[in-house]
Amino acid sequence: MTDTTQQQVFDIIAKQAKIDVAIIKPESTLKDLGIASLEAIELIFDIEEHFNITFPDQQGANFDSDTVQSLVDAVQKALDEKAAAGEGSK
Amino acid sequence: MSTVSMRRVVITGMGAISPLGVGAEALWQGLREGRSAIGPLRHPDAERLRVKIAAQVPDSFDPTANIEERTLIMLDRTSEFALHAAREAIAQSGLDFSQNELGVRTAVVVGTGVGGENTQDEQSKRLYGENSPRAHPLTIVRVMTNASASQISIAYGLRGPTFAVSSACASANHAIIQAAQMIRYGLADVAITGGTEACLTYGALRAWEAMRVLADDTCRPFSINRRGLVLGEGAGIFVLESMEHAQARGATILAELAGVGMTADATDIVMPSAEGSSAAMSQALADAGLAPQDVDYINAHGTGTQANDVTETKAIRLAFGTHADRLAVSSTKSMHGHALGASGALELVAVVGALRDSVVPPTANLDKVDPACDLDYVPNVAREMPVRAALTNSFAFGGLNAVLALKRAP
Repeated sequence: MTDTTQQQVFDIIAKQAKIDVAIIKPESTLKDLGIASLEAIELIFDIEEHFNITFPDQQGANFDSDTVQSLVDAVQKALDEKAAAGEGSK
Repeated sequence: MSTVSMRRVVITGMGAISPLGVGAEALWQGLREGRSAIGPLRHPDAERLRVKIAAQVPDSFDPTANIEERTLIMLDRTSEFALHAAREAIAQSGLDFSQNELGVRTAVVVGTGVGGENTQDEQSKRLYGENSPRAHPLTIVRVMTNASASQISIAYGLRGPTFAVSSACASANHAIIQAAQMIRYGLADVAITGGTEACLTYGALRAWEAMRVLADDTCRPFSINRRGLVLGEGAGIFVLESMEHAQARGATILAELAGVGMTADATDIVMPSAEGSSAAMSQALADAGLAPQDVDYINAHGTGTQANDVTETKAIRLAFGTHADRLAVSSTKSMHGHALGASGALELVAVVGALRDSVVPPTANLDKVDPACDLDYVPNVAREMPVRAALTNSFAFGGLNAVLALKRAP
């Protein structure tokens, strides 16, 4: 499941940055991948839309310097919270 | 510098509707007391919004006070603010536009970032949300960005050059500069100018949330624990006049608008550049005939975002050199919030107050200075000190910089 999440996040990043998904490593920062400023915010939006999750505002502060792994972890956390919030609610 | 001899421009009236209350004095008193108007967001959709705080005009503001019903129905909240602030400014100036054809020699230039956003949002909700087949017939005249300028023109019979200026968060300063230039070059003797904004709608708040630049606690400019900007609203309107016109009628001069600077970064649509903004400050100094050491105070753009506060600090150092360490610099957005297209106008009220009363308003909520922000930001408590001249900075998304240089009334 975690791998799937990671793969999906990697695919979204590759599409947004127009790069080969193979060059994305968990330890890469968005800045390393050439994603800065507004592109980073757009990427976060794409990820939120894709997984139907909402990141808390606090995480918005340092997307550029965060690693891809921390982004994947944040997605997984949001997905887990959504699942825990109850199956009934859509 | 131009060889054309330019007329000097002075401020003879000011008015404001702000989160600190109704009137320019309410705003100035709040700022010098270090009182923050940031509080829980009051909005019908507050429950489902992520943004929880804002700096809003208090409910004690009565838009209907002394305005005729047939005018009121034409007004978006943006124009309500502008018209009330204009009335206060014009009353203070003591001008009577019906005398000596003065209305013909008076310009109106009002800045706004988005114009009639509340009307736009309401009508969109009707059409898309409620499937109503028709929009309100006054939608266009309420929404248009020039509505505020036109309503002021109509209310006072002002028939000189009248238009809106829009440059996001620099709208008010850009508008004031246009008005001042018209007086300098003889296109008008008097100008009613400033900025207005009222865009705390569900749609606009959602758009700001998505940009992830909003603080969730409060606005803490230059503080290491700052978490972003806090949205505000309001209007500040001024009466500008050629100095000779003001002196001839024995008017009380509040301050001199001595110089202006405008540049574009031409780099990124949102990330600011120290070179672009420092060039605007240097231009304003040169235009005012001021050396860096003549300036005592800068009202900073100071949004409280990570990017602005560090870059603005660098820009002030670039423009002022060693004198930067002797300047008092404060961000009053820590108290009145970021009123976007009106912010420069609310901040000009602070600068006029500082020049007039020899008191520099503080930067509120400055808990712990960011080592990358190493100027004197007048933390938390106003400072009594003589202010001979001051700058006020506005830097907009889009990389647009507009700076005003003010001198104490002669």
